[in-house]
Amino acid sequence: MDFLLNHCYKQRYTVTPEVYSHFQMCSKDLNPLHTDEEFARKKGFSGKVMYGNILNSFISHFIGESLPTKDVIIHSQSISFMNPVFMNENLDFEAVVSDLFEAVNVIQFKYKFIKPCGKIAAKGLIQIGIIV
Amino acid sequence: MIMERNQIISWLKEIFEEIIDEGPVLLSDETTAEDVDGWDSLTNIQLVVSIEKHFNIRFTSEEIIVWKNVGEMIDCIISRKEN
Repeated sequence: MDFLLNHCYKQRYTVTPEVYSHFQMCSKDLNPLHTDEEFARKKGFSGKVMYGNILNSFISHFIGESLPTKDVIIHSQSISFMNPVFMNENLDFEAVVSDLFEAVNVIQFKYKFIKPCGKIAAKGLIQIGIIV
Repeated sequence: MIMERNQIISWLKEIFEEIIDEGPVLLSDETTAEDVDGWDSLTNIQLVVSIEKHFNIRFTSEEIIVWKNVGEMIDCIISRKEN
């Protein structure tokens, strides 16, 4: 396997208006926290809160497009949302190879999305398999 | 050694039940994948990952493809723990 324990992959993702609207069309989630600026402010946020599951689609991109092989399949992923993400915020994504199971071609990553202020937007675990 | 086998099979039962998630699983040395509902090739990957994590050991692909039953899996776990 072309993976080394503790290797860290880094990538930058941004929830642009295009990403936001495409996800909204796909999910059909029109909850006012995500669509109504005034509603979100009344709830104590500085603006519309971006859909947390957009970050899951960034993980899909990372696994599908950024690894040294395309022969991959996601077995599982978990996500904990720690802090809200707002429109056009740059998120630094870091994924560390946390475990390798070579007998069954499995790799596990610990990942986090870091906001420009340094706070963690979300974190979790991903398990992938290498399709042989 | 008998105690150790019994202890291992008890841990394996917990692991199988958590991964397969279809109720109680009966395991013995003679149990094969055909005897356990839900033990398919994809589940087997997750079982191996969980067993390796639980016992803090690593198998090789050559080892796992020759397992004929749970007994051979346990033999392999014991052999790994001893080395």
